Amino acid sequence: MTGSVFRLGLLMVLLAGITQARGLRADAGTPVLLAAGALLLCGLFAGKVAKGMGLPRLTGYLLVGVAVGPYALGFIPGAGVKGLELVKGLAVSLIALVAGTELHLGLLRRVGARVAILCATVCGITFCVCFGTMVALKPVLPFLTPMTMPQAMAVSALVATVVVSFSPTVTIAIVQETSARGSFTEFLMALVIIGDLFVMVAFALAAGLTRASFGGGLDLGALLGGVGWELFGSVGVGALLAIAMLLYMRGVNRELPLFLVGLSFASAEGGARLHLSPLLISLAAGALIANLDEREGARIHQAIQRAGLPVFALFFAAAGAGLKLDALVTVGPAAALLVGLRALAIWLACRRFAPADDARLKRYLWMGLISQAGVTFGLAALVTKTFPSFGPQVEVLIVAMITAHELVGPVLTRRALSASGEIRADEGVESA
Amino acid sequence: MQALLVFLAIAALSLLASSRALLDPGRHPALAQLAASGLLFLVFGTLLGPSGVAVLTPVNLESLRPLVALGLGTAGVILGLNLEPRVLRLLPRPIYAAALAHAGTAFFFVAVPLSVPLLIWMDFPPQAAVGAAALLGAAASLSSGHFAVLGHRSGRLERARGLGVALLTMMDDAVGLGVLALALVLGAASSAPEGVALVGLALLLGVLCGALLAFLTYSLKDPAELTTVTLGMVALVGGAAAYLRVSPLLAGVACGATLAVVGGRAVERVSRALGRVERPSYLVLVFLIGCQLHARDWQAWALLPAFVVLRFMGKMLGGKLAQRLTVGLLDLPPRLGHALISQGGLALCLVADFLLLVPGTLSQRIFDVVAVGAVVNEMLAHRAFRQVAPPRAVKGAPASPGTGGEGVAA
Repeated sequence: MTGSVFRLGLLMVLLAGITQARGLRADAGTPVLLAAGALLLCGLFAGKVAKGMGLPRLTGYLLVGVAVGPYALGFIPGAGVKGLELVKGLAVSLIALVAGTELHLGLLRRVGARVAILCATVCGITFCVCFGTMVALKPVLPFLTPMTMPQAMAVSALVATVVVSFSPTVTIAIVQETSARGSFTEFLMALVIIGDLFVMVAFALAAGLTRASFGGGLDLGALLGGVGWELFGSVGVGALLAIAMLLYMRGVNRELPLFLVGLSFASAEGGARLHLSPLLISLAAGALIANLDEREGARIHQAIQRAGLPVFALFFAAAGAGLKLDALVTVGPAAALLVGLRALAIWLACRRFAPADDARLKRYLWMGLISQAGVTFGLAALVTKTFPSFGPQVEVLIVAMITAHELVGPVLTRRALSASGEIRADEGVESA
Repeated sequence: MQALLVFLAIAALSLLASSRALLDPGRHPALAQLAASGLLFLVFGTLLGPSGVAVLTPVNLESLRPLVALGLGTAGVILGLNLEPRVLRLLPRPIYAAALAHAGTAFFFVAVPLSVPLLIWMDFPPQAAVGAAALLGAAASLSSGHFAVLGHRSGRLERARGLGVALLTMMDDAVGLGVLALALVLGAASSAPEGVALVGLALLLGVLCGALLAFLTYSLKDPAELTTVTLGMVALVGGAAAYLRVSPLLAGVACGATLAVVGGRAVERVSRALGRVERPSYLVLVFLIGCQLHARDWQAWALLPAFVVLRFMGKMLGGKLAQRLTVGLLDLPPRLGHALISQGGLALCLVADFLLLVPGTLSQRIFDVVAVGAVVNEMLAHRAFRQVAPPRAVKGAPASPGTGGEGVAA
């Protein structure tokens, strides 16, 4: 670990030198590639340091991103981090593709109903707690204060929907990293994925209600059409992607990691343009392949593990660099309250309603549900885009919560998997 | 969205360029040659770029600059890595003189006459016109050895002769890079001392990154980690250069050369890791270079025939001189000049790097002449190489992309 710390230190010195040299030039060029290279290298060695300290590598990626990012040491300008959005989409697609290959029909038959019921319960309880808190905070939160009570309730419902969301990305990445296998891991993964679907539907409904409360009218047909397109359209496109992958693997069968990275990139970019969910597209594609041809599913799994290290290191380090630490100061108390109450609600719901046949679910499942990352970021950005009058302030609040959840969540997820006794190795993505 | 467009375009072109029908030299010799050398991507880039059907607009290209910097940085690191100091030290002086002869003759054949129209008819300031002519000369001085490499691999050329040509073409890179550094000293800053400082900064950045890469990879055993560190450092050197607005190509060369000197056993592993991304990165760069081309600049078209003809003459004479200088040392083929016509990727990198740092009408015109010239010279080289090594009587397998040294290092 000492060697990795020293190497990380040298990288920091080089980045500090580049930042100093920047002062010599009147005009700077584009910082996107600098951000990519710096975050990739720092992320890799920070991941090794984190592993040496018994933490998930992902935490190392995130923390070093925060450190070198624009809100701390400032070695990487904000424009550089913003330019890495493409990588974020790519990583989400790759992670979802791997997760999809784990979704066998047998597993869904075995735990599907139980997972769905628990997920609905956890989401419902968390939603109620967060909704109630937001309404109670109306006199304190500047963006809620001038609103009428129906408007404040609609906005509170919208925020609560976003706050409920989990992070399939973080969960799956930690499962990959630790090579965890077993019924607890399957349950956790299925729950965060199904939770994501619930949140997608709930968010669309809450957004429609909010729009109506501000006089925009409630077009139920368009609302349901939008949700349907996002869900079923994504699954349909995912099926097409699965067919393309199977044809490639059977026909061409060369440079599979490169092909998968390219296809995931296209699906992430294309999906976002078509208002589909890139996560759901890749998830559906992976699941279809795994159920149509298990051998090819396993090959995809291995291929992504080979290409995964740079993509995941860059993705999570960039996510860390993008965390707005100043948001913590401005809306800190409200965000801290919501973070605490959300965790309490999830803990209570799992403790009370998790299946009794596996004691581990009651005791440790909640820890795996704390993380928030890509999906929540996306929804927060959507709030800003849809409701420009109050959306930016809502986004600041949500981003402050994500900051806390990103830093604590991966550690808790790893602890849950470790406590469940399903971690097989200390290497996963990285060693492959 | 523009990145998706580029990706889809590259993917479609890759499929097209790997088509057996297209690669059959018997059916489409020129297309097959351009596809094998990667220059077909330049043509498609021009067609899809702002000068063609404008699928990619100038705004799109502006946001794709990081990809250009990445391509230039990667090309630089690969070039630097190929500079093996031990081998270079062992080479006798006449070989250096021969490389300088063929590169220098072409340089003067192009730079001196073409400075006249740049100065007189196109009305550019004297210093800028001379610098531009020198850059045209530098691009003309470069030759690619991929015909020779493919020739000896396919049995058309004796191994010793093929390697001799490849050695001479590899060594002319120094002339091109030297002139680029000089052109940047004069053109990329408001004063010459500031220009020297900027070129020095690029080299210092490259040296630091190369030394750090050697240290970071020293104890890495996991191939995935090694690939990640290599890719990360290539991105960092190109990205830092682009951010500081210094030359990504020169920084990359300094990085690769430093690694070659101090890297020890890491050199081969880094080379292998880079080898996996060389071809895709080169094709994306060539495609983006094609997009940057201003096909409607008639003055550039007017300069083009002179550039091609003068370079051809310079290479013929330079080839003869090189042969005389290496008698008894290198077994070079007769009519060596015909083997030096292909221009290769570095010429494109030189002018792309210059355009990136010194945007303007003059640098754009040089860029246009060299980019189109590279395509014309590649097609000429296909015919000229027959004078060196006649095609085999039996129809052989077509040269497929990725089989030769047709990347930037060639």
